[in-house]
Amino acid sequence: MNTAATDLNAHAETVDEAARTAMAIEQFDEGAFDVETAYQIQSLSIQRRVARGEVRSGIKMGFTSRAKMQQMGVHDLIWGRLTDAMMIAEGAEVDGQRFIHPRVEPEIAFVLGDDLCGEVSIPEAMACVECVAPALEIIDSRYQNFKFSLADVVADNASSSGYVIGPWVAPEEPIDNLGIVMNINGRPRQCGSTAAILGSPYRSLVHAARLAEIAGEPLQAGWVVLAGAATAAEHLQPGDRIDAEFQNLGSVAFSYK
Amino acid sequence: MSNQTAEQIAEKIRNAEASGALIAPVKDDFFEATVDAAYEVQQINTEFHLGEGRIVSGRKIGLTSPAVQKQLGVDQPDFGVLWKDTEYQDGEEIPFSRLHQPKIECEIALILGRSIDHPHPGISEVMRAVDYIVPALEIVGSRIADWKISIVDTVADNASSGMYVLGGTPNKLEGLDLRLCGMVMERDGEPVSTGCGAACMGHPLHAAVWLAQTMVAREMPLQAGDVVLTGALGPMVNVEPGDVFSASIHGLGSVRAIFSKE
Repeated sequence: MNTAATDLNAHAETVDEAARTAMAIEQFDEGAFDVETAYQIQSLSIQRRVARGEVRSGIKMGFTSRAKMQQMGVHDLIWGRLTDAMMIAEGAEVDGQRFIHPRVEPEIAFVLGDDLCGEVSIPEAMACVECVAPALEIIDSRYQNFKFSLADVVADNASSSGYVIGPWVAPEEPIDNLGIVMNINGRPRQCGSTAAILGSPYRSLVHAARLAEIAGEPLQAGWVVLAGAATAAEHLQPGDRIDAEFQNLGSVAFSYK
Repeated sequence: MSNQTAEQIAEKIRNAEASGALIAPVKDDFFEATVDAAYEVQQINTEFHLGEGRIVSGRKIGLTSPAVQKQLGVDQPDFGVLWKDTEYQDGEEIPFSRLHQPKIECEIALILGRSIDHPHPGISEVMRAVDYIVPALEIVGSRIADWKISIVDTVADNASSGMYVLGGTPNKLEGLDLRLCGMVMERDGEPVSTGCGAACMGHPLHAAVWLAQTMVAREMPLQAGDVVLTGALGPMVNVEPGDVFSASIHGLGSVRAIFSKE
């Protein structure tokens, strides 16, 4: 699809401003651009963040469960770009003004010890992992009512808006079927397993490496990779305290005000 | 007509089970559509089957997830009888023709080493009574067409019980994290249901405590050797002829269910 460069920049500005000001926007017209073009818009929107001084810190994977892919009518994962400004300290109090209609979901996070790119096997991907951590991702679609097409959500950086990382551990034990309980104000709201992430979070990392090559942006040593949600997302309300407990990995928490 | 007796309702369910001809919800025909009366129906059929020489192997606990309780408008689980002839071995072929609109779910099964006849059993009594623990698959079924069940329908219909499969590797309770243990159930290698121990009333042993108390109150305490299916750790999934499922619970091992093609 030939979308003029000026249009791409304008679309990138639209999604970036929506994220920056926490003001919801309408979905783009159906067929305004395809998914490939949407990734270009995403890239341009991140360039705007970098120009403001933000630093790339990694990537996040989305639609990593079969249920979510079916719900969206797609057959591939999506991904978004993380920056340091999205990182929230473990245990911190997060200002709700930053978000439009945020939701939270538990994930597995990897930190890479080596660069990773292209078609790799699971053992090769595992060898690049320096450590693993329990994580919470705050997703916040910039579109009204959290409604979007596949191209919309890709342009909107896969709804990325914040992430919280728990204690890092060296990946010595298997992590492909760890139980997770996500509590809000101490009450269990979601129960799940890391197996919901493509059967194993390492599979998500393999896909991340493949998609990074297509994008021409190799995953870099030191980057965080958020492997995808292990349960459905929960809405955040002011005053909520969110914590997620992971079998064998410990827990991760933050407060939302 | 809402004037049928517990005996009449029980017979209707029994016939549906034997013939495979599913029936409309029984709640509307029942002169007394309460949960207690539904357990009376269940008990009538239990005694009928005992009279035919069937052997009780334990109990199942149902409605252990808050989502399912909400769906049926209840705030408690329910229970049904497990029959020895509905127990299958890990990987043994299960005849699809024996099932009624089957769905499958992965659970933690307790095998009791002693009876729980304490007047007010709590978690300590349950822990003392558990001999070992295995992952299990429960194949639930309903004699009510299209699963249009209310709480009264499912309780009367033996808590929508069907068949069950126990894993072959026994675990001792010591050191197991039954709350945070991850569960994945796969069909043809594809994850179709995931969850963890806490999905069953916060902890599978909490469900077992409820059952132990309920059975003491009904003067039918759980017995040594009883199998207790504690409740689903993740969403249930429809079963089709020829399906093969395998489930694993982190730290407890795995279990498979294989269904005949017809």
